[in-house]
Amino acid sequence: MENCRSCVAIAGADYCVIAADTRMSTGYNILTRDYSKICKLADKCVMASSGFQADVRALQKQLAARHLIYQHQHNKQMSCPAMAQLLSNTLYYKRFFPYYSFNVLGGLDNEGKGCVFTYDAVGSYEKVGYSSQGSGSTLIMPFLDNQLKSPSPLLLPAQDAVTPLVEAEAIDLVKTVFASASERDIYTGDKLELVIINAAGIRREYMELRKD
Amino acid sequence: MVGKNCFAIASDRRLGVQLQTIATDFQRIYKVHDRLFLGLSGLATDAQTLYQRLVFRHKLYQLREERDMKPETFANLVSAILYEKRFGPYFCQPVIAGLGDEDKPFICTMDSIGAKELAKDFVVAGTASESLYGACESMFKEGMEPEELFETVSQALLSSVDRDCLSGWGGHVYVVRENSDVRCIFKHDNSDMILLRSIKYIEKELNMLV
Repeated sequence: MENCRSCVAIAGADYCVIAADTRMSTGYNILTRDYSKICKLADKCVMASSGFQADVRALQKQLAARHLIYQHQHNKQMSCPAMAQLLSNTLYYKRFFPYYSFNVLGGLDNEGKGCVFTYDAVGSYEKVGYSSQGSGSTLIMPFLDNQLKSPSPLLLPAQDAVTPLVEAEAIDLVKTVFASASERDIYTGDKLELVIINAAGIRREYMELRKD
Repeated sequence: MVGKNCFAIASDRRLGVQLQTIATDFQRIYKVHDRLFLGLSGLATDAQTLYQRLVFRHKLYQLREERDMKPETFANLVSAILYEKRFGPYFCQPVIAGLGDEDKPFICTMDSIGAKELAKDFVVAGTASESLYGACESMFKEGMEPEELFETVSQALLSSVDRDCLSGWGGHVYVVRENSDVRCIFKHDNSDMILLRSIKYIEKELNMLV
């Protein structure tokens, strides 16, 4: 089973950072060091997925097709919250033979604020300020909790989950977090691919990680 | 975790049976002598028995050699005692931390049958060990002074146990310095701002759920 592990997303006031490593492995072997897990679904909406890559590819195809239909019917791109709901429904459609994919959706909503949605394999989702999925998530999440200190979703009144960090600081944080995860997790490493969405558009950055 | 001529050893305070919490002030770190501490995670009864056996062996050593055991020696002793029970093990993962010759800090951990893992920076054990690996790896710096080391260890422990439902209820942190000064801090009584904030946050959550 080809597996890819570790992806992270952080939402900011006017940006969103989505990152994933580029290693694809099976068991204890590496299949390739240069595999992109990040897929652009719409203008301001990007999805990173860890898990079984054949299912991830099928899911991406399905979402792209549905998005095209939406564009023909409504004459506009799908917004990030709309895509989030679509992804959830698509995953739950296969509730009894699921897509083995753990997704993180990131983008800008209609007001230009960053939003991150985190999913499990059958489509349960939540809008959060930051998230990670995959084998590296157990290593990454506590540190993100510590640095980003998101308010609990149980608190009332509902508090804003986006982080007050500046874009450059969020990118640095993501790079640090992946450097630590690749030290201790055998499935994370090789190269880090970062996708940054802001009002100016989408840009990609790359960073080398440990190759072992 | 290792610092500059000092070390810190920390544990959470929960004792539970799957989802039920039995105690919220359980002591998991034991002092063997002034410069050697032992933390035992896993089955509580095995941890207590193991500690009693090790203290017994250490006292005999003290009588015969007329000095305290070195941390490296103690680690070998723990490893041997665990391997004696190779086919019916103690369900414990020990974490050993001590100051050796010339105040050089020594840390090591073992699995439940005595395989030693020596490290230069930090060692972790328990149900939240993966989270602890991530948090410590990100927060560790070489050559930290005792105050900074305490801060780092506390933050790493708190954020890791927050992601594990079987760990929590605050923590004990011991920071041992070169002149054998031992500082022992109980999180719930500490008036440090950062810790208070996290405790208040938990209280707020509980109020909302009730």
